Amino acid sequence: MSEFFHQYFDFNYMGEHFWEVLEAFLQNVLIFTVVAVLALIWGLVLALLRQLPGKKFLPIRFLTIAYIDLFRAIPILIVILLISGGVPFLEFIPKEIRIPHWLGKPDPFWYGVVALMLVYGAFTAEVYRAGIEGVPGGQMEAARSLGMSHWQAMRNVVVPQAVTLIPAPMLNELISLLKDSTLVSVIAFGESVLISRELLAQSFNSSALTLTAIFFILIILPMARIVDKLIARNQGRIARGSHMEVA
Amino acid sequence: MAETMVRLRGIHKRFGELEVLKGVDLDVGRGEVVCVLGPSGSGKSTLLRCVNLLEPPERGEIFLEGHDICKGPNSGTGEQSWELNFVRQRVGIVFQQFNLFPHRTALQNVTMAPEKVLGRSRAEARAKASELLERVGLGDKVDQYPERLSGGQQQRVAIARALAMDPHVMLFDEVTSALDPELVKEVLDTMRELASEGMTMIVVTHELGFAREVADRVVFMDGGVIVEQGPPAQVLDEPREERTKRFLGLVLDR
Repeated sequence: MSEFFHQYFDFNYMGEHFWEVLEAFLQNVLIFTVVAVLALIWGLVLALLRQLPGKKFLPIRFLTIAYIDLFRAIPILIVILLISGGVPFLEFIPKEIRIPHWLGKPDPFWYGVVALMLVYGAFTAEVYRAGIEGVPGGQMEAARSLGMSHWQAMRNVVVPQAVTLIPAPMLNELISLLKDSTLVSVIAFGESVLISRELLAQSFNSSALTLTAIFFILIILPMARIVDKLIARNQGRIARGSHMEVA
Repeated sequence: MAETMVRLRGIHKRFGELEVLKGVDLDVGRGEVVCVLGPSGSGKSTLLRCVNLLEPPERGEIFLEGHDICKGPNSGTGEQSWELNFVRQRVGIVFQQFNLFPHRTALQNVTMAPEKVLGRSRAEARAKASELLERVGLGDKVDQYPERLSGGQQQRVAIARALAMDPHVMLFDEVTSALDPELVKEVLDTMRELASEGMTMIVVTHELGFAREVADRVVFMDGGVIVEQGPPAQVLDEPREERTKRFLGLVLDR
């Protein structure tokens, strides 16, 4: 038993490597932040493309749905490996783009960011879609019957109502994203899991991994509580016969 | 008959396997009030929704003030087209479920489309909306959100919202069916007043009393066709068709 505690909960070891692991964890937070912003925008674009009405936009709708299905189906790890392993060899792309070192970050960082953005764009698109489709169809009908175009109705009627349905499920996606940022360790980017495993290899002690887990718990638990609050608030609205508050 | 506002010819509509409208012809004159009766599933709501192209018909012709609104290449595809704009700015519709915008006040519900679609100034739209809400008896509710209003009040806001676009024709799709009984009268009174002011109205309803009193003509539909039509007294009191008799018998027996 003491063997186990020494291997995983060596607090002296954690103290010694605290700043090293924290710094690596902040790389996870950085990946998370960059990808969250990009994926929230990319997902919204996908969701709106998917809602385009009429026969004319059928090809766009089809491509959007195909994209979303595809990236939801492929394991993220594989997307990361394919992008980091494939993009550098696409010689028709300028070298600065296929092997990026922007903002002082190495290319594995950017491959990870792009891979996670592509995948999480598909996931967030589905959250937006659920929000948009959660608004009763009569709202769009009423708006269109008053002469509004599809976009006017979306902007003035549907989206303002959809945004109140979105935060809780979106935050759940973001929690997953933060955890999945550790997958970038497989392409040798120095985030917390990679650093912890390097420490393990050097010292045969796993406590750095435990410390990393603690960092994740500390940041994700408050997010989970916020999700609970948001859900409770929405249920309150439903109970009052409206899913809206003062705009 | 006065000038024809709405002319329907051979309207067909199907949802998948289900043929809802099987060739409907109907003319509605300017200022005329036509009540459409019929059992559920008879196609009456679908017919109404064809008139403003919410449900574009598969076959048939619709003329609105003499203009063919079904011929455009995009008509009915959900895209903006000349026909769609033409129709939506001339035809107002009120729904069974009100469909007020819950994130906007009563006044904002009424001003939104005039501002966004007709490009009216905020001041102008507000003045007109206040006047309309006053007219439907809700002058003191302009700043309330829909969830604070009763069903009858919500439905009257919905009527004001449709009127704000200066429609030439108003469609009413079972607008009292979702209301508690004591709230029905206030909505019917509003419609009565509208009719007396000369609005052209097509009213899908189960309110036989309203039809008898207000309608210039009653249309009875069943199975996707018009079974019979005529002055209210004739259709309601001396129906010629067996199906009409049976329906009226069931409704009146309640």
